[in-house]
Amino acid sequence: MNFLENLPLAAKKLILDAVEWVCNWLCAKTGIKLPDWAMPALLTLVSILIVIVTIIAVFMVMFALMSVFERKILARMQNRYGPNRVGFFRWRLCGLFQPVADGIKMLTKEDIVPRGADKIVHFLAPIAMVAPALVLPVILPYGRGMVPIELSTGILFFFAMGAGTELAVFMAGWSSNNKYSVMGAMRAIAQMISYELPLVMSAVVVALVAGTLSPNGIVEAQAGYSFGIIPKWFVLTPWGFVACLLFYIGALAESNRCPFDLPEGESELVAGHLTEYSGFKYAIFFMAEYVGMFAINGLLVTLFLGGYQSPLPFLEWIPSWCWFFGKLACVAFSMVWVRATLPRFRIDQMMQFAWKFMLPMSFAALIAAATWYYAGRGPAAWGISALIVGVPYLVLGRLCFTRRHAADNRRYLYSE
Amino acid sequence: MNLPGSGIIKGMAVTALNMIGSYFDRAHAKRLTTEQYPEERPTLVETSRSFPFLVFDGDPEAGIRCVACKICEKECPPQCIYIVQDKDANGKAIRRPRVFDIDISVCMGCQICVEVCPFESIRMDNIYEVSSYNRFAPLVLHKEQLLKSNAYYNQIHPTEAAETDARIEAARIKKAAAAKATAEKVAAAKAAAAKAAEEKAAAEKAAPEKPSQPEQNA
Amino acid sequence: MHDLLQRFLSLPWDQAPQWLFLIPALLMLVAAAAAVMLRNLIHCALCLTLSFIALGVLFIALGAEFVGFVQLLVYVGAVTMLILFAILLTPASEVAASNNPFRSFSLSKAVNAAGGGVVALLVLGGLLAAIFFSPHAREAVPPAIAATAPAAAIGENLLTHTLLPLQGTAILLTAALIGAALLAKEEKQS
Repeated sequence: MNFLENLPLAAKKLILDAVEWVCNWLCAKTGIKLPDWAMPALLTLVSILIVIVTIIAVFMVMFALMSVFERKILARMQNRYGPNRVGFFRWRLCGLFQPVADGIKMLTKEDIVPRGADKIVHFLAPIAMVAPALVLPVILPYGRGMVPIELSTGILFFFAMGAGTELAVFMAGWSSNNKYSVMGAMRAIAQMISYELPLVMSAVVVALVAGTLSPNGIVEAQAGYSFGIIPKWFVLTPWGFVACLLFYIGALAESNRCPFDLPEGESELVAGHLTEYSGFKYAIFFMAEYVGMFAINGLLVTLFLGGYQSPLPFLEWIPSWCWFFGKLACVAFSMVWVRATLPRFRIDQMMQFAWKFMLPMSFAALIAAATWYYAGRGPAAWGISALIVGVPYLVLGRLCFTRRHAADNRRYLYSE
Repeated sequence: MNLPGSGIIKGMAVTALNMIGSYFDRAHAKRLTTEQYPEERPTLVETSRSFPFLVFDGDPEAGIRCVACKICEKECPPQCIYIVQDKDANGKAIRRPRVFDIDISVCMGCQICVEVCPFESIRMDNIYEVSSYNRFAPLVLHKEQLLKSNAYYNQIHPTEAAETDARIEAARIKKAAAAKATAEKVAAAKAAAAKAAEEKAAAEKAAPEKPSQPEQNA
Repeated sequence: MHDLLQRFLSLPWDQAPQWLFLIPALLMLVAAAAAVMLRNLIHCALCLTLSFIALGVLFIALGAEFVGFVQLLVYVGAVTMLILFAILLTPASEVAASNNPFRSFSLSKAVNAAGGGVVALLVLGGLLAAIFFSPHAREAVPPAIAATAPAAAIGENLLTHTLLPLQGTAILLTAALIGAALLAKEEKQS
């Protein structure tokens, strides 16, 4: 299966060779002599374009499919059918053309800008949201040797781009000239900033053990199998499990997904910071949220689930990029599952959870990881690190989230 | 031991079972109760009603029960019925409607027209797929669209229709019996009158002979 | 047409990257100027954010990726949020009808502006002098350190040579956090 494994890289090389051949042919035909720096520069430019087009195409298709599959899976979990009618040419196709219908609807809607809105900021907010979101997937290793851009500080780049999203949310809320939008934007930013800390701390935990900030290096640090059969992924260690869960919850909060979708829930301040956006701008926000979700899921897969590595030695014939996208699909499915199951958090519950539970747990995970790393990775190290994460988990769980039984203190004012 | 987070796991198990069950266990009562609308229509109860229609017996032209008495037009609260009585060849009014329009965008389905009709001719239909692309003309139903047979009425409201038919039948029998009684009475009166006339004639015939007899004896 | 294309291609395009730095540099200057001249405070904050982004781009272009990304993460992510929250949560000054920085002219304002300009030029001159007359200014541009892992090098430096300032900064930040929590808590009477 080596052919399948190298298919994307071979395709890229094919395109670059084709471009080079065409250029040489054109120069021979017209007699123009190119200077020395021209051909490498052109090939670099073409390879950048290939990367951009591939990422945008892949993520747009994933976004479209995700929007319909999310609705269908949510529906099945709620004992109903999802969209199952939109097909084309009389074939129902189980509703898989729904994104096309949604896209047409969004594009043909009137673009309403409120009269008192700040036009420039209102216009720039969707752009400021989607530009960082589209840049996020560029550092993820999709397969062996398939990193679009190899950055040695890739993880840091990821979080730096995520910071642009918060700015866009604020711009969207403030420019709508609607005090409820501003309130929604404030809450959204508070949520995103609060959950960014445990998110970054979980990534730091992984960087600590792997010794590098480069995503490729982190995936390589999870290579191999212990006892020949169990993969050495970080999620299968006690600190890694906790860090993965914290990262997952932080990812849910960063993408404003249920149960953290207070900013955009319909019963909360209409749509929060997105109230005054209609048509294509709303579609752009929607798209940015989904692409950001995929990117952060991809980072979760890279950091904790072993990236493009297969879980079992005898399954290594499946291409590495298949594994990556398969794991990404599983994490996305679990996000839809969580959305179907959990009700929405209140804003104070959300803040409490971030600051009083998740941040101390992330510190505990950090200490546990360091202990595990320096205590030689033997059974003692596993036991101690499990203890270091387990005890705060139970203690904090009891402290923060038990409801005191106030039945005896309750005053019923209006009962007979 | 109640670990923090165990409730979430239990909840997620429920939703996962829902999802798997929706593919493999479809017969379960709670699963997938959606009716796929154009293919599966909802079953209406017998008493559901939407807009009125006119009943005819047998032939749409000759068997129409409505006599254009205009009681329903007067009693309709939003005044959505418009009736014009028919005239025969000579210009004399006859007992059938020429125009019978109901504006179903105005009709509120109160059934008052049904209650006041003395001739059992207007009844409530249960059609609900009457949308049109125009708010005005297509939503005014004319006589031809409103005329539906008694068989149809029996089909959509069996109990009511049976009751109505029984009432009509009873009225017809009563009328026939009354007519027969009247006819008999008339016949009896006629016979009695004939008999009385005969007797009177016979008496008259006997009476003039009496005064002539004493004349012969003197 | 043919040799026009040839001449166009044989311009020294490979020297271009040196001049490309003008793009983020000019953007930063214009954004910073707008940040002090615009009337609407939120617009000022957003222009300041733009200048932060341009500075981050300059860092990355110079090969200091770590510092560049940290600039984006900290300044755009956190400091901008801080400034925006501060603007929104404090009583707003009146917003002028137009955002034009050159809307009104008066002599006293012009004199004030000239004086401020002179002071700014003096400060700039002092900084430039410090840069140009420093011992390292005449050296060639050092090779980019991005080839070796910069994050590891910075981390090692922080935890060995500059450990004391690091701990001092940590204590300062902790004190600020506790102070903020206390200030916020004092409002509620439980």
